[in-house]
Amino acid sequence: MRYRADHRSAAYLAPVALLLSVAVILGYVESVVLPPLPVPGLRLGLANIAVVVALATFGLRAAVIVSLGRVFLIALALGTLGGPTFVLSLGGALAALALMAVLSRAGSTFSVVGWSVAGSAAHVSAQLAVAVLIVGSNSPLLLMPVALGLSVPLGLAVGHIARLLLSRIPDWSLSAAGR
Amino acid sequence: MTRGDWLVVVTVIAAALLLAPQAGAIVAPYGGSVVLRGPEGVTTVTVMQSGRYVVPGRRGDVVFAVEEGLVSAVSAECPDQICVHSGAAAPGRPIICAPSGVSATMLPGRAEGLDAVSR
Repeated sequence: MRYRADHRSAAYLAPVALLLSVAVILGYVESVVLPPLPVPGLRLGLANIAVVVALATFGLRAAVIVSLGRVFLIALALGTLGGPTFVLSLGGALAALALMAVLSRAGSTFSVVGWSVAGSAAHVSAQLAVAVLIVGSNSPLLLMPVALGLSVPLGLAVGHIARLLLSRIPDWSLSAAGR
Repeated sequence: MTRGDWLVVVTVIAAALLLAPQAGAIVAPYGGSVVLRGPEGVTTVTVMQSGRYVVPGRRGDVVFAVEEGLVSAVSAECPDQICVHSGAAAPGRPIICAPSGVSATMLPGRAEGLDAVSR
């Protein structure tokens, strides 16, 4: 259920800021602490849990704040702002956000699990496309089949976690943020 | 999961399967070589030429080791070190250091000898 919210109210800003901080922490932990996956550049996408929850509860504006805010803040923390790593992250985040936003407009046809899988696939596809531009060679596209294949279980996992979280958020706390 | 969700899953898997042979075709067959590409140019070495190859990148040098037919990145100056942890390159699985704009692509090997002789 999505709530109409006054975007300037504390009851809206506080949970969105909380989701942003969760996304930043998950993204940072994934970048720095967790070992990389066998496919170069592919990550678990844990930060997308917060983006999916934001999109499902507060809509596209909140999801944009959480997703792009995470990309900027993690780049600031890692010192990669404006560099190729930042461009890769931004490209992936924008593509995932765009596709998830489209699916979220389709009513009950797609659940958060479907959004997540689509977002995961869009994210890796966009990152590899940006990598082609950065590296100046088609070689990153060689990773596309494996990356797309792995994006399915990763997207499913993130989507199920997001759905579980959404089922545990009491309605009264969300209604306090909107209306 | 809804039907729409399953449709998304099937579409992504189908895309991955359809792209698999296409991805292999991106690289023209050329026997047992590795293309080391950086901002300053391209170098091709055969996997039989064991040694260390330094490729200057945008964020410092990336060093590749060619040993016993395997190619791997041994050091890089970027913060993520993803390429160093990527393991050995293989046909269809390049090593990419995106921050430095450097890649190592192993080209598929070609069978030695002649397939046919025609007049």
